[in-house]
Amino acid sequence: MDNNNISVKVDRVSKTFGEFTAVRELSLSVRAGRIFGLLGPNGAGKTTSIRMIVNITAPDTGTIEVFGQKIDSQLQDRIGYLPEERGLYKRMKVGDQLKFFGELKNVSGKDAEGRIDHWLSRLKIPEWKNKKAMELSKGMQQKVQFIAAILHEPDLLILDEPFSGLDPVNVELLEKVVLELKLSGKTIIFSTHQMEVAERICDDICLINRSQKVFEGSLREIKSSFGRNSVALRFEGGNGVLADTSLVSKVDRHSDETEVLLAPNASAQVLLRRLVDSGATIEKFEMIEPSLNDIFIAKVTENS
Amino acid sequence: MIKFLAIVKREYVQRVKARMFIVMTVLGPVMLVVFTIVPGLLFSLKTGGDTRLAIVDQTAGGALFEPIRNSILQLQVYDDKNLGERIESQVNSNTTRRIENASQAFSAGFSIERVDPTGKSIDSVKQGLNARIGRDELDGYLLIPPDILTNNDSKPAYYGRNGGDMVTTGQIQRRLDNAIRRQRLLASGVKESEIETLSKQVNLQTFPINEKGEEGAQDSGLARFMVVFMIAFLIYLTVLLYGQVVLGAVVEEKETRIAEILFSSVHSFKLMFGKLIGVSLVALTQLAIWGVVFMAISVWGIAALSSRGVQGITVPSLPPMFFLYFTLFFLLGYFLYSTIYLLIGSMVTTTQEGGQMAMPVVFLLMAGLYMAFTVIRSPNSHFAFWVSMIPFFSPITMIVRIVSQTPPMWQILLSLGIGALTVVLLLWLASRIYRIGMLMYGKKATIPEVMRWVRQQ
Repeated sequence: MDNNNISVKVDRVSKTFGEFTAVRELSLSVRAGRIFGLLGPNGAGKTTSIRMIVNITAPDTGTIEVFGQKIDSQLQDRIGYLPEERGLYKRMKVGDQLKFFGELKNVSGKDAEGRIDHWLSRLKIPEWKNKKAMELSKGMQQKVQFIAAILHEPDLLILDEPFSGLDPVNVELLEKVVLELKLSGKTIIFSTHQMEVAERICDDICLINRSQKVFEGSLREIKSSFGRNSVALRFEGGNGVLADTSLVSKVDRHSDETEVLLAPNASAQVLLRRLVDSGATIEKFEMIEPSLNDIFIAKVTENS
Repeated sequence: MIKFLAIVKREYVQRVKARMFIVMTVLGPVMLVVFTIVPGLLFSLKTGGDTRLAIVDQTAGGALFEPIRNSILQLQVYDDKNLGERIESQVNSNTTRRIENASQAFSAGFSIERVDPTGKSIDSVKQGLNARIGRDELDGYLLIPPDILTNNDSKPAYYGRNGGDMVTTGQIQRRLDNAIRRQRLLASGVKESEIETLSKQVNLQTFPINEKGEEGAQDSGLARFMVVFMIAFLIYLTVLLYGQVVLGAVVEEKETRIAEILFSSVHSFKLMFGKLIGVSLVALTQLAIWGVVFMAISVWGIAALSSRGVQGITVPSLPPMFFLYFTLFFLLGYFLYSTIYLLIGSMVTTTQEGGQMAMPVVFLLMAGLYMAFTVIRSPNSHFAFWVSMIPFFSPITMIVRIVSQTPPMWQILLSLGIGALTVVLLLWLASRIYRIGMLMYGKKATIPEVMRWVRQQ
């Protein structure tokens, strides 16, 4: 990877609050024009890491470079940030509010006006421009906050749990916008603990747990490194088979099918034979990649 | 600069547009009138009819009854000049005098009856009157001792139901005093016509001399004191009205969870400074509106009074330079106290918490006012010098010194400089505490924690 393609470079960064170490020796590189998933359980240090990247707090040790420069207040204008802790001025009209957030990023009111209209209609809430924020539903407020983060057309967009609390229709709408932004060359850091979302849109991921990095790489890499050791099943009868821990290490029963993770050294062939022998009727038997969720849980438990 | 202006603009526009601001701007002057005039009126208003008073005159032949009665009933009529004096004194006097004067103007009536004690023991007369008071046929009676004209220590007495009606007893006291002194003078041979001229009050005229040894125009010092009081009151009022607003402005982003978005765009010092300026402009807007209204009313009022022949209402006249000082020290005072509210706002998570913490600020302000009384008596003492250098007292104490005995320019500038530096320091401190405190997941900060944050890099 050559340096021109790196938007954010975090190098051996640590941050402590009193006795508590929030981030320990974290290094990561975010490639330009890609969606980078910053994943980890609650309290892993994601938000603290992001705050250091946006220059809200300074690291105790280590360095952070954004677009090849040490982060400073000038660079802040090229970053769009949607924090997990977010709100709006309750008594301010949506349009005025967005204009204000734009001005805070050095966008003049005149430029902002057109963009506000464009994004409000893109996110299907144009009629709310002159309404006060307190009249909006939570989901609509979230869309307004999202617009506030992208209004100044940042080169780097940082989204912390952007979809939490949204209905599936709006999740899809925002996902589409995020993917479009990526295609137009923006770099996106996406922090979440919702693995399904990360799996759908991230190109690269970094997993942190207990203040430290557990894994970093492309989604492809991590998936293939885990191999195809999961099986998706749809069958009837033969229930005792899945209880054998020498064969299966984990069983997830969904409503219409069952996903099993094979035990180390067990083979799918043996599982299939055992099921047939026990008289089960098998409708579906498919080797699949592990889900990011499974990888996440495996890594986190292994790490703890 | 766009960022800073955006913050100032938002704070200003949002507040000036708010319904609360408009309501307060209109209600402010109304409330001022209500709170200064209405209590006096209420106090002077005596509901229920005349005070029924009996006079028991024990002097020989009851000769004092007539003069006392006339005095209490105020049978001598005021001439026009007198009326003018009374209104003038009403405009320029302090509250207690004003209440008394107002009460005179709205004088409650008396109805007076004569009780002749001849031939009865004084105890039986008193018993009879006490019983009548008990039956509510009488409100009170005056007992005039027989030797009142000859013995200076002889004391008349008042017996009545309502001893708490200070206005009435005060009136009786003053009018009785008048009548008896007059009678004593007459008894000692002073001619009726001379009494008025001989008992006229002596007025002391005061003339200020400045540091160059020049004599100024006659000036009782009252005007100067009034000006000091006005400045103190103005600071007090603005801080009281707008301290909470500043606090609210700082807490707003914490309560609405916007702080983090702001910090990803703007430095906290700029944010704090912008908020302070924005809210201050709101305060100045409101004060300016009130000021214009007040001026208009005053000009109209003085014109109205003088057209009715009322003379001598003094508008405090001061050198123009003083107005510059007032403006500077008023602004300094306002900013000093506002930044304290800013600091408190940076430490707490809700306005309610902040309100509790802000209580002592008012005491600080009061302390400055009390020191002003000491300073005005010796404006060039060491004490006066030092308290006019301490930031939180200087806006009031330095103004006192300037109007009473203008100190050297370097002292004025030093005082302003120290004050301004304190404002910047507090602003810096507040922005620091705000930024670090916000990252601590919105919990209320303890003082040791705050100290640690300040030191933290």
